Amino acid sequence: MVIRHARADDVEAISDLIVRTKRLNNEFDPLFAVAPDAKERAEKYLRTSLAAPGHLLLVALEGKKVVGVLKAEMRERIFYEPRNEGRITDFYIMPEHRRKALGDEMIQQAAAELKSMGAEIVVADVPAQNEIANRFYVKRGFRALINQFAKGP
Amino acid sequence: MNPEKERQRAVHSGVEGASARKPELEADQAHEDEPSRKALAYSKFYGGKVGFAPKVPVRSLQDFSIWYTPGVAAVSKAIEADPGLSFEYTGRWNTIAIVTDGTRVLGLGNIGPEGALPVMEGKALIYNYLGGVNALPLPVRAKSADELVSIVKAMEPSLGGVNLEDIESPKCFDVLDRLRREMSVPVWHDDQQGTAGVTLAALFNALEVTGRELRGTRIVLYGAGAANVAAERLLVEAGADPRDIVVVDSKGILHPERDDIDQLMLKNKWKYELAIRTNGDRAKGTLKDALKGADVLVAAARQGPDAIKPDEVAVMNKRAIAFFLANPVPEMFPDAARAAGVEVVATGRSDFPNQVNNSLLFPAIFRGALDVRAKTITDSMVIEAATELASFAREKGIGKEYILPTMVQWEVYPRVATKVGQAAIREGVARKRMSAKESMQAAMATIEMSRKVMNTLRDGGVIVDPPE
Repeated sequence: MVIRHARADDVEAISDLIVRTKRLNNEFDPLFAVAPDAKERAEKYLRTSLAAPGHLLLVALEGKKVVGVLKAEMRERIFYEPRNEGRITDFYIMPEHRRKALGDEMIQQAAAELKSMGAEIVVADVPAQNEIANRFYVKRGFRALINQFAKGP
Repeated sequence: MNPEKERQRAVHSGVEGASARKPELEADQAHEDEPSRKALAYSKFYGGKVGFAPKVPVRSLQDFSIWYTPGVAAVSKAIEADPGLSFEYTGRWNTIAIVTDGTRVLGLGNIGPEGALPVMEGKALIYNYLGGVNALPLPVRAKSADELVSIVKAMEPSLGGVNLEDIESPKCFDVLDRLRREMSVPVWHDDQQGTAGVTLAALFNALEVTGRELRGTRIVLYGAGAANVAAERLLVEAGADPRDIVVVDSKGILHPERDDIDQLMLKNKWKYELAIRTNGDRAKGTLKDALKGADVLVAAARQGPDAIKPDEVAVMNKRAIAFFLANPVPEMFPDAARAAGVEVVATGRSDFPNQVNNSLLFPAIFRGALDVRAKTITDSMVIEAATELASFAREKGIGKEYILPTMVQWEVYPRVATKVGQAAIREGVARKRMSAKESMQAAMATIEMSRKVMNTLRDGGVIVDPPE
């Protein structure tokens, strides 16, 4: 298994995985209903962020096949110290490659790279009700920081 | 000629083709109406199918000072000091509950616990007559898996075992797994282990008839409900390579990249794990895609007769084996499957050869488990039972149209029970040790006693024949 920075020719494969994360989120709340053109939007969003500073996009490959993706970006915390955070916004591993420590490797590599980009803390966004993701981070020393409440149509 | 006879003739002459389908369906209708009419009339006449009968004499009312207070207090105190004695001093050793929440009854669906009661009574009668087991029909009102688990656990002190029945999937997997973990009497879900066990026995002999070994045989499981999820586990335990098994459900071949895979992870972890463990080639597509190059099809999917088409089974390997287990109408009728090239066909029905019938197994499984006071029924006990079921048929001479014993060959029950009991002892899950000979004697005695009770009640006019 190889973990490396994503390239432009990975974008289509990655966008499939990103849409899978969004569909998974939808299992937890109808406010995560996935847009019909989510895949096209994902491709556009990924191409933009590939070129933009402060973004990190890692892929895990088995042979030539993308089986995992982790997307993160640097954000400034205006009111708090420490000021610089690296935020993991999307993280997905294909089912048959789960529970084999690939997630650990990707998180560790991401944390190291975010640190080198100036991050003093690492945070990760997951749906409140995704117990599996919650357990994953708690087990690795993260703690819940913000509750996001929604009231919608 | 009446349609039923015409269909029978067609079945036996082996010339049933697509053109014979219409009379067959009409015959099926007539065939099914008759038991329905009788079931309604007789159920009302008898007011239920099973009841309690005493086991001890009441020579005079004085005897109640032994069977009840004050004498009984001594028995209670002895059991209080050693709860294991409840298996010796009471009927617990031979008593099970048939528990359902009524959420998936036969082919009827979610008809509620009251609706399920006649079915559980029928099952209790089979347990009693074929296995000598006192089975209490106990449909319960339970809204969730948690509630069902807690109800069943609460009944443990009175029971030597539990037969779960007709509980919807995937709830049934969760309930069975938890109860097997948390109770120290055997918990059996017949729609999982029973169907899978008989399927395995049938497959052992079908493989023999077609000159195959389990290892290396390519198996397609159509339907990913209770029966096939358990079948996969038993097949692998019995020696099949999970990579040679492909599971197909209503959305096609199960594989780890399917769009609904994460939904399965959250809502049906049993199916999710199947998707990862099976299908070594990572095939994708339809049932027909799965059947290309397959040796065996086990369909436990949905009512037929056209749920599987001839062109789908036609792409299987030569000397193919196909089981169509939906009841009452199999996914495909045997004649159509044979016309499409399948060599060995089995269904869940008694009016075709090769009936894959749970009733061949569950009375014997519990007879064997109860006789040795087993704490659980392991998968290897089920495999032992399936192997013995298959051996029995082999001794009688197996062929394309005889891969399983039939219910009338009742000698099979004590034989299977003995193997189950001995396997429990070997695995260390039995509270009571006995030799194979003692197991056989115990099983024979209890089953014969049940038959004797039935005969005596009939001979004495206590149970009368129904009015026509």
